[in-house]
Amino acid sequence: MEHYDILIVGGGAAGISAAKSAKGKKVLLAEREEKLGGILLQCAHRGFGGDLSGMEYAATLTAGLDNVKVSLNTTVLSINCDKTALLSQKDSGRRKISFSRLILATGAMEIAAGALPIAGDRPKGVYTAGMMQKLVNCQGFAPDGPVVILGSGDIGLIMAAAIAKMDIPVTLVEKEAALGGMARNRRRLDGLSVDMVLNSTVAEIFGERELEAVLLSSGEKLPCKTLLVAVGLECDRKLIRKLENPEWLRLCGNCERVHPMIESVINDGTQAGEWACGI
Amino acid sequence: MKSYDAAVIGGGVLGCFALRSLCRYRLSAVLIEAQADVCMGVTRANSAIVYAGYDNKPGSLKARMCVRANRHFHELCSELDVPFSRCGSLMTSCGEKGNAVLEKKYRDGIANGLEGLELISGDKARKMEPMLSRDVQSALYAPMTGTVNPWRLGIAACENAVQNGAELRLNTKLLAIKETDGGYILHTDREDIFCKAVINCAGLSAHVVQRMVYPCAVSIEKDAADFLVMDRDIEKPSRIIFQEKEDGKGITAVPCTEGNLLVDSAPRAMTRPYATSAEGIESIKKQLTALLPELEQDIIRTFAALRPNPHSEDGRSINDFCIETPAPGFVSLIGIKTPGLTCAEELGRYVAGICAEYLQAPPNPAFDGHRQAIDCADGDIVCLCEGISRAEIVESIRRGARTVEAVKRRVGTGMGRCQGSRCEIKIAQILETYSNGTL
Repeated sequence: MEHYDILIVGGGAAGISAAKSAKGKKVLLAEREEKLGGILLQCAHRGFGGDLSGMEYAATLTAGLDNVKVSLNTTVLSINCDKTALLSQKDSGRRKISFSRLILATGAMEIAAGALPIAGDRPKGVYTAGMMQKLVNCQGFAPDGPVVILGSGDIGLIMAAAIAKMDIPVTLVEKEAALGGMARNRRRLDGLSVDMVLNSTVAEIFGERELEAVLLSSGEKLPCKTLLVAVGLECDRKLIRKLENPEWLRLCGNCERVHPMIESVINDGTQAGEWACGI
Repeated sequence: MKSYDAAVIGGGVLGCFALRSLCRYRLSAVLIEAQADVCMGVTRANSAIVYAGYDNKPGSLKARMCVRANRHFHELCSELDVPFSRCGSLMTSCGEKGNAVLEKKYRDGIANGLEGLELISGDKARKMEPMLSRDVQSALYAPMTGTVNPWRLGIAACENAVQNGAELRLNTKLLAIKETDGGYILHTDREDIFCKAVINCAGLSAHVVQRMVYPCAVSIEKDAADFLVMDRDIEKPSRIIFQEKEDGKGITAVPCTEGNLLVDSAPRAMTRPYATSAEGIESIKKQLTALLPELEQDIIRTFAALRPNPHSEDGRSINDFCIETPAPGFVSLIGIKTPGLTCAEELGRYVAGICAEYLQAPPNPAFDGHRQAIDCADGDIVCLCEGISRAEIVESIRRGARTVEAVKRRVGTGMGRCQGSRCEIKIAQILETYSNGTL
């Protein structure tokens, strides 16, 4: 069985930063996609490390990983309490490895529409905002308008701006009395035509096959062809669910808590890498 | 015009088993389905229960078929390579009226020939299922109750029928039926089809289909029910829990073969087809708290089901399976509700038998009832929640899946916590690569 001093699960900003700071150790960085960068790779908007897009920033981040073994297209299927992990790699299949320290950098998962108390039909046209972000920025997809976005956190705001820029009618629905997210993301809406409904939420969905409209809790019915759910993220810790906080494990980045800023993710990852080297 | 000995109208679990059963005879058979896949209607949203048979009146067709089908269910599922869990069930009561209902069902069950049925105390029920509420006074324990994934069963039956030479016509909507010399012409939105005999399994529209050519005294009303699906990882009961309340049927909690807990409500009036009701979902959550107070209600999806509720001309609800033969070559399954899934194979075999007798078709010695589940994998994990690889998805496409939804129902992609938001783009790309007919 191959042995590594440090196994890092997840090659997003946190995992990459952890790998870079784990100097002098035998490190394996496992990333399920074909490229390192994680969620940065679907961020076309600017504001990373100054004025870079997420995609550009990911490229700068991955520089300097020369001493780290990076295993792309590799999903970690399980982590066991005997410090072994089962990996599944696209072309080589499954293999088990052992490690001394584990850094979990699996990020966060969007809360899907299914988990929300929204009644009515279950037509096509309902997506999470992040899935739409990937469709738009990586697949050249344009959503059918009008679009309703539920939730005005950072992802909701970023997608509202991106869709408005495509000249597709978009309405943001926010349950609080004011928009959420960071000020710099709220500013993205300046000068764009985005309708806003505050103090409201989506109560019911209409459309047997294709989405036709959503009914808001305020009683207003908004015709739409696309609904993006942007109500929040939850830390993805499925892999360590059965482990009881072993001393060889550390979480970093968005799987530990959701960080609004990339700098904070990188800092967290760097510290995790140092921790793994230090003990 | 293409001509067949027998045509099945409707590709729900009943139609799929009717088609498979037709293959037991030497005849040509086709199934016509309006949607892009089989099992997209009533079968898609079903409580997934294989009933024991104590709910049905002794002597009724339902009781006879249900008890027999339940006994053979394991055999059927191993033949079709579909997961089946004979997990057992507890029907619980918290009061005198409920206790009386349980006692009646116990007597009916014994009269129907069930073995192992037991009326037990609340304490004993809690020993079996520690999550049950302190309020449960008594329970009817049925060790033979089980659960099966309804669409997996239907799809397996359909695949097996196709292996045995039956034809499948999806995306084909029946518009009219014309009686003609020696059979029927089925007018569809694609091409017309001639068949000597018809098996009508059109589910919620079965009465409409029969009325295309014959009168039909039975009418179908649509009852709805709401469903909640819980995350697989929560602690849950290991048996199916039915709730018999003082004012009637309550919720049902089913630990599915996939590992999720599926909770459904008693039937309610339909608003829009397959639309959930906010009140319905809230009410399930409340009742679930009363029944299983410790359960973490970690909901990943809600959906609604429709159930055909057959009525006679005078408006009374019909409490048994309606099997009509308005003409010797025309058989209809109308308003098949609970325990329709349990009896799907029995019903299919029965109507195919009627059809074969009419056609004087001899048994088909080449019929092979065995089908194999998709059993391949490669290292390329596409669905992260469920750990499903690209090779499984490609095989589902080879077997006929043409939509993301069809892939989902064959291999289970998108059934987990993220509900497909992390894998659907990749699945759509794989579909694009492999479903262009060159495979």
